[in-house]
Amino acid sequence: MEALSVHQVNKVYNKTVQALQDITFDIQEGELFGLVGPDGAGKSTLFNILTTLLLPDSGNIRILGLDLINDYKQVRQEIGYLPGTFSLYPDLSVKENLDFFAVMYKSDIEQNMDIIRPIWKQIEPFSKRKAGKLSGGMKQKLALCCALIHRPKILFLDEPTTGVDPVSRKEFWEILQTIRTQGITVLVSTPYMDEATLCDRIALIQNGKILEINTPADIMKQFRGCLYTFRSEDIFSLLNALKECPLKCNYYPYGEYCHIAFYEDMEKAMPTFIQFLDERKQEHGEIKPIQPSIEDCFIEIVKMNRHE
Amino acid sequence: MRTILILIKKEFLQVFRNPLLLSILIVAPMVQFMIFPFCADYEIKVLDIVFIDHDHSSVTQDIIHNFNASDIFVSHGVIDNKKEANKMLKHDKVDIIIEFPNNFEQDLLSGEATRLAITANAINTTKAGIGVGYTQEIIGGYMQEFQERHAHYDPDKIPATLNLSYIYWYNEQMNYKNLIVPGILVILVTLIGCYVTALNLVREKEIGTIEQINVTPIRRWQFLIGKMIPFWILGMAEFILGLVIMKIVFGITVQGSIPMLLGITAIYLFVMLGLGFFISSVSENQLQAMFIVLFLFIVFVLLSGLFTPTEGMPKWAHYINYANPMSFYMEVIKKVVLKGSAFISVQRETIILTVMAVIVNTGAILSYQEKSK
Repeated sequence: MEALSVHQVNKVYNKTVQALQDITFDIQEGELFGLVGPDGAGKSTLFNILTTLLLPDSGNIRILGLDLINDYKQVRQEIGYLPGTFSLYPDLSVKENLDFFAVMYKSDIEQNMDIIRPIWKQIEPFSKRKAGKLSGGMKQKLALCCALIHRPKILFLDEPTTGVDPVSRKEFWEILQTIRTQGITVLVSTPYMDEATLCDRIALIQNGKILEINTPADIMKQFRGCLYTFRSEDIFSLLNALKECPLKCNYYPYGEYCHIAFYEDMEKAMPTFIQFLDERKQEHGEIKPIQPSIEDCFIEIVKMNRHE
Repeated sequence: MRTILILIKKEFLQVFRNPLLLSILIVAPMVQFMIFPFCADYEIKVLDIVFIDHDHSSVTQDIIHNFNASDIFVSHGVIDNKKEANKMLKHDKVDIIIEFPNNFEQDLLSGEATRLAITANAINTTKAGIGVGYTQEIIGGYMQEFQERHAHYDPDKIPATLNLSYIYWYNEQMNYKNLIVPGILVILVTLIGCYVTALNLVREKEIGTIEQINVTPIRRWQFLIGKMIPFWILGMAEFILGLVIMKIVFGITVQGSIPMLLGITAIYLFVMLGLGFFISSVSENQLQAMFIVLFLFIVFVLLSGLFTPTEGMPKWAHYINYANPMSFYMEVIKKVVLKGSAFISVQRETIILTVMAVIVNTGAILSYQEKSK
């Protein structure tokens, strides 16, 4: 059964900014669904709509069989929301925040302890500390406890790991996996591509449009080009030179490396490419073929969409 | 019910953990009461006066003597030079110049029209007004005495004098503290009601907690009531604290019924709370809210009749005042605290404040709902 079904949702800000355009997707019960896209893609707008904070201009949304717009009061009881910015009371203690939100949802901490116990155990030693004085990772854990205390059926997390250190990020995703095993459907947005592979399915979103919905594995299989990488001492001049490359290709910097995807027959194209680089006097390291990462796939999908 | 209780509990926890807010709540009334009434005082204790006597007669001597005998006037001597007197006025050495013309006594005795010039420094209008008033009173008093003394001469020839005298009712010593102190009480209640509430709610917006609350199934009115009650209680506590300070420090006791005063204050607080909510719903951050409150507050105070009596205001100001809850409340405070008026004489104000409370709060809930959904 679908836990969430979004159909043709549109949202325009100030009559000119198309924040969301024909958003349509379904999330199955128990799924860990990722919404991946750069800043400004419309992720937060979509979250605000799904969590009943914002009305869409048009479109149909059903959450657990309830109509989001008409039954928003029931919907609020069934969903949990972790906003993108820390939004608990910094001057209340950890325990007071949890108590407060438990009552807001008319829920009982003791009864629902089982669902938050793995997370709560980590922050319990600090239960008397003010929430504002916690570290970033701890804050997120507390916020997660507060969002889960009423045993929601769907949990929405808006960029939960933005600004969190790599170790805490990893921990956080482990927690998400355990939440899933408790039968809670999770919709999480992230700008980090590496996190996307941890989801069951992901939707790539850009400029308010969903470009692709698939499992991370299938998205990676769909990569159409032949991807190569090589090191360059002067990435800037290399990228400039590549503008005039006669081959059908798509290139972008990747740290000190350059990633380049060719849409050619490589046996013929590679000598041409090396010759091109030499003519332009571009120093380069060994040109090696690599497996595309989810990020490469995302860049390809975005480029393809732009050309269409 | 449990929801509202925890909202109230949360609010109090936050207030008592905010040292700045707490000290504002306690220190502000103290400071306002201790400093303001002693400074904002229109009472004239000393008037410096100088005489220009061209006549040098017994009459002018008598009048000057009468001035010297009064507590208020401090004489800076009798001089002949008008220029010098003007200089003294200009340099703030004196407040009033009295000039007796030539043949003052003779003209007076013969019933001729005579002029006596009073020049007052009107930079401080209150001082000038009162100074001239006192001067007239002393001269008037002397004239009456003079008339009686010389009645056997020719009564028809002596110019009739008007005996002007003032009695200040309800504030017999014309003690401005009695007016200012209750006024500060009004300012306090207004500040707590409007300012603190607006800032508190906008802060929830700023730190994003309002979003977290909005996704919970809690109803709007529950949230607003949970916000109102704590600040209402704080406002009432502040008011009672103010009454106690008023009694202990200034010895001003409430002449009317205290329960009635508390009741009307409760209504007024709801007007201010609602206004605070309304302001918070239209502003994005604490800075904006502060500016709006400050603007309204100044208009309210200046029009409320605390500093200047509303009776002296032009008509249009009266019309604006119909929308100024503070002026109605100020009226109630003055009547109940100083005059000891019964409910019947503040009935009109109470009804208006109640209507205002209903309108403002309805507006606040509506605007809040519109923004959040």
